[in-house]
Amino acid sequence: MLEIILCIVIILSAILALIQKDLLKAAILTGIAGASVAVLFQVLLAPDVALTQAIVEGAIIPIFIALAVKKTQRSDG
Amino acid sequence: MANVQLVILLTSVALVVIGLYSAIFIDNIIKKIIGISFIEEGVNLFIVAIGYKAGGVVPILMPGMDTSWFASNAAYPLPFGLVLTSIVIGASTLAVMLALVMVLYRRYGTLSTKVMLADTSKKEEYDE
Amino acid sequence: MNELIPLMVIVPLMAALLISAFSKFNTVTKIFAFVVAICLPIIPLLSNYGLHYFGGYEPMINDAVKMMYHPAITYSFTFLQQIFIGAVGLLTFLVIFIYLTKYRKVSGPYLFLLFLGTAAVTAMILTDDIFHMFVFFEILALAQVGIVAASSIDYSYEMALKYMVLGSIGSPMMLLGIGFLLALTGSVNVTDIAAAVHNGLVDATSPVFLLSLALIFFGWLYASGLPPFHTIKSGIYSKAEPHGAALLQSFTVISMISIVLIMFRIYASLPIFEVLIVFFSILAMILGVSLALTQTDFRRMIGFLAVGELGFIGLGIGLGTNFSITAGLFQALNEIVITALLFIGFGAIVNATNEVDTRKLGGLLAYHPKVAIMLLIGGLAMAGVPPLSGFQSKLMLVQASLSCGFPEISILAIMVSIATFVVFVKTYYTMFLKPKPNDLELEGKDVPRAMIFAMGVLLIIVILLGIFPDVVTNGISNFVGGIL
Repeated sequence: MLEIILCIVIILSAILALIQKDLLKAAILTGIAGASVAVLFQVLLAPDVALTQAIVEGAIIPIFIALAVKKTQRSDG
Repeated sequence: MANVQLVILLTSVALVVIGLYSAIFIDNIIKKIIGISFIEEGVNLFIVAIGYKAGGVVPILMPGMDTSWFASNAAYPLPFGLVLTSIVIGASTLAVMLALVMVLYRRYGTLSTKVMLADTSKKEEYDE
Repeated sequence: MNELIPLMVIVPLMAALLISAFSKFNTVTKIFAFVVAICLPIIPLLSNYGLHYFGGYEPMINDAVKMMYHPAITYSFTFLQQIFIGAVGLLTFLVIFIYLTKYRKVSGPYLFLLFLGTAAVTAMILTDDIFHMFVFFEILALAQVGIVAASSIDYSYEMALKYMVLGSIGSPMMLLGIGFLLALTGSVNVTDIAAAVHNGLVDATSPVFLLSLALIFFGWLYASGLPPFHTIKSGIYSKAEPHGAALLQSFTVISMISIVLIMFRIYASLPIFEVLIVFFSILAMILGVSLALTQTDFRRMIGFLAVGELGFIGLGIGLGTNFSITAGLFQALNEIVITALLFIGFGAIVNATNEVDTRKLGGLLAYHPKVAIMLLIGGLAMAGVPPLSGFQSKLMLVQASLSCGFPEISILAIMVSIATFVVFVKTYYTMFLKPKPNDLELEGKDVPRAMIFAMGVLLIIVILLGIFPDVVTNGISNFVGGIL
């Protein structure tokens, strides 16, 4: 059951990230999708991959995108 | 209990399709890059799902485990090792792309790919 | 001395890291980069042929199916690898020599990118592990983007970003293809996968297998700049510094042949594989030459011609006989040398005139006679004029396609060669022979000596390979006999 909920969360946050007008919210939604994928990796018996994924896709990539948004513009215009 | 592997394969296909759509059709460059990170995530998810074994154990040999029982029950660890590398590669590619975007934003003042990445030969004529 | 095999990758990689870390010591960096660059072509010449297993894990026999499998990442070093690593090492040395003599203050990150690219292509051609190849393919893409973005030419950042966005679509597709192969065979070692396919453990007509071919093929098209990626590939050549472009095209050629040889070993039993390669190669030949004809920027022109020449390599490999693959690989070696010569030569002209538009140039023969003569010989070699090296490989390709029963392809190859000749002579005429336009200022600008030296070295190789092609073709033919 957990994996189905996670899959729905991943797909929903991916779609929401791409239709968002505010790029900062898009960055946060990317992080939610990445962190959910990390939990999925744990379900799939890959704890080492899950750790890396949680750090990289769950934290570092959203921060990179947020920094890029801060240096450029926040709204998708 | 649904078939975990099948659900995950469908999710990874959905992620790749969403990513491809945004990388090709969305005009905003940051959203294109977010889409590209979704493609990579989908592919990683797919490769991890290859190594999964229903009802198996984590492929780490703990002290006290029987080796032959472990060999027949552990998940296949080779794809996991590949995905570790692939995640890091994806992050570094994304960082380089965002750096290039920041430089180009200073020149054009917009995130639109139609303006930023227009055919350079046309731009040169326009400048002249 | 099999220990030298991993060193071919480790030396440039370590040099890259050390240089970028200690780039504030200018003189030390210069000397260090020069010494490492000299070592690069020498290491493959000294090394013995053989296999290297990382971690020392020897191949094992699986008792259940009576098949060997390779637990370690394997590097295989044969004559083919030796000649190509030697060629790219020599080219790296020449490019770094040009760079070091051109600037008083060297940039550590730029040298880092050059060495990183060399290490990546060396690993790509050495490795017998498809995922290892993918990792270095990504590193190579990053290095290429860096080399383009580091140049001072207008719009280089845009081109770099465009290449990178396309690459980030192309390389996950390739990884997905590798994932399908892994799902089918449970291994990423090419020898194991090929054995599994040939022994019938994998259904060669299953849709998953075909899909993996399609995905890896898409990645290959991106890596080698065949259509539909020909425009972006010639674009990045024209936006890089000339010596950088000379190195970039060698990276392209080597990544092209290393991926296509891996694909050939896995998919050779599928008839559609060879049809696909021949189709895209012919498309590249025709599009490359016809687009080159319309260009006014001569760097762009050479870029399109280089893409057209890549089609000849693909053609030789797609025909699938021992003789044709030998011809294709020999053509690859010639293209590395000849295109590098042309890029450096035209780069010397840019250096001397600050002008890239052929319509605004003219009469350069009187000012730069050495460059003019060496460029002429290089262009003739590319078009396939005897007795230069391009002629030998193109003759072999034409013979190969005739003996395979495709006279149409050999006629097409000859026509593309003639068109290449026309494009080159047209550009050469407007740049060197036509009377000098009045508003072109040439006084007081000289061609750097290092560029003349590099062109001279490459020219000697072109002429030697043209006169003694057997030195290379016999060895390549033995290698091809091993994988067929």
